Amino acid sequence: MTSVKRSLLLLTMAALCVPLAWTQAPPAAPPAAKPAVVPLTDADLKNVETPKPELRAKGDPDGSLTGNVSDVTVADSKKGLTIADVANQIGQNKVAINFVWTLITGFLVMFMQAGFAIVETGLCRAKNANHTMMMNFMVYGAGMLAYWLIGFSIQMGGVGAVANLGGTSPLSAEYAFNLFGKPFGLFGEHGIFLTQGGTYDVGVMVLFLFQMVFMDTALTIVTGSAAERWKYAAFLVSSFIMGAFTYPLFANWAWGGGWLASLGTNFGLGKGYCDFAGSGVVHAVGGLTALAVSMIIGPRIGKYTRTGKSNAILGHDIVLVLTGCFILAFGWFGFNPGSTLGASSNGALRIGSIAVNTMLAGMAGGFGAMFYMWMRYGKPDASMSGNGLLAGLVAITAPSGFVNSVGATIIGLVAGVLVCLSVEFVDRKMKVDDPVGAISVHGTNGLWGVISVGLFADGKSNYGGSWNGVNGSVTGLFYGDASQLVAQLIGVATLIGFVFTFSFVVNFVINVLVGQRVNAKSELDGLDLPEMGQLGYPEFELKPGPVAVQ
Amino acid sequence: MILIGILMTFLGFLLAVASVAMTASVGGRMVVVLIGLALSLAGIIGILNRAFLKNAIWRR
Repeated sequence: MTSVKRSLLLLTMAALCVPLAWTQAPPAAPPAAKPAVVPLTDADLKNVETPKPELRAKGDPDGSLTGNVSDVTVADSKKGLTIADVANQIGQNKVAINFVWTLITGFLVMFMQAGFAIVETGLCRAKNANHTMMMNFMVYGAGMLAYWLIGFSIQMGGVGAVANLGGTSPLSAEYAFNLFGKPFGLFGEHGIFLTQGGTYDVGVMVLFLFQMVFMDTALTIVTGSAAERWKYAAFLVSSFIMGAFTYPLFANWAWGGGWLASLGTNFGLGKGYCDFAGSGVVHAVGGLTALAVSMIIGPRIGKYTRTGKSNAILGHDIVLVLTGCFILAFGWFGFNPGSTLGASSNGALRIGSIAVNTMLAGMAGGFGAMFYMWMRYGKPDASMSGNGLLAGLVAITAPSGFVNSVGATIIGLVAGVLVCLSVEFVDRKMKVDDPVGAISVHGTNGLWGVISVGLFADGKSNYGGSWNGVNGSVTGLFYGDASQLVAQLIGVATLIGFVFTFSFVVNFVINVLVGQRVNAKSELDGLDLPEMGQLGYPEFELKPGPVAVQ
Repeated sequence: MILIGILMTFLGFLLAVASVAMTASVGGRMVVVLIGLALSLAGIIGILNRAFLKNAIWRR
């Protein structure tokens, strides 16, 4: 291009830009006059018009008359409506919105129990259908009783005021000891039977319901990995202890004001251990306990040949499996967005972002696993595609409140491939039998989710200006804060080093005292009759031996 | 072997926690935590699991 042409082009561009810049420039504003502040008084409220009774008597088809000043609760009818009444109503409405949000999302999480039940049952053989369903059914009750008795107290007894739920001020007693010159919170002390320590409180009840269904999710993970050989009585004892102690202890450290959450305030590690909705607290705790129990009770008969070669023991109903995965994906919209514990507070409007992150990561996980299996084995395996979806959902659970949609999709995609690799490692290298892949879906990807917070948190979330008592937003390594990754890794080390150890010791003792595994005849016949006294499918003709393929 | 495996797993956790007192640098803490993690994983996969595999049901 000649210099003449270049000059002409520049001149043309400049000529085009000048009017464009002129049209975009804001008009010069006159100096703003300071608006006069007119305080609102009680007298002003008396002048607010309400719809006339004869108008209301005709009905309100478009909804424009329903809900007005006459619906505001008045404290003293002699005084009439006051500013204080209006302010109180606003506060109560905010807490009411948060109560309803938290309860409904809690109900969604509760329904996930049904998803887990049919996923696990579908992946097991028909001769164990009743037993597997009953474990998933009664883990709900066993865990709930343990949690009501003491678990909730250990987890949340010292959490302090949860502002979104109106304060929850009775949850104010945390046992802590000094280590390295800093307080290390270990467990809460208020809330036994939901009465002790003044915990008969509406806000505490909402918090209990929401946290209880989370705890039960962790418990039901173990029933999958130990399916088809777990003695029912041992399962009940093991689940009760997990709901009473194992889960609540780690949950206190992460969510209840314990030492992991304080790594930021005490040692300057990012915002402390951050786990938005429980990749670590719920899923890794469940997955690592599943690993401990599976190691102790050993593999199913027929799972490995005498040379140690792994056989695939096929489940009996892939329709149940994928339907269950859909139910779980639906319930996850309660799990992650519900963890804001409110829809009306600082940062709570991120519920939209959290929900989108959840669905993207789940989808990416499903794709990751499907393509991995397709490329490696020649077919897009249905059960592993389902597990990929769940792996993506598990992995996004911790970072869902802190990452953007690109980060969420990458996290999910990695989870989808990771679950396939982990299933192969656990099955072929460790030779730990896990009929449903729970160790890989929840354990491995729960840990990945915790780590991913330390990598992908974009520093854009703002839940009241601070997290875990540290000002600012949670920011990961890729956005400039390496110390957050260290806090997350300490959480991972605690899960592997403490939670696994604790679960292993508890279940080892149960094994010594009552025995964890059914006898060989019961296992070969199927556990429905010997353990439950009734077949899951009485009209089916069942094959008594192991149904295995190389 | 089971006892050694479980002790090693727990030791990894203690080392990771102690990292906050060993050094103030982020890099130093990360290295210590990773060593703790490796110790715990070696305890589970390398020792504990092998102890169970020795008497596994499929070997009988």
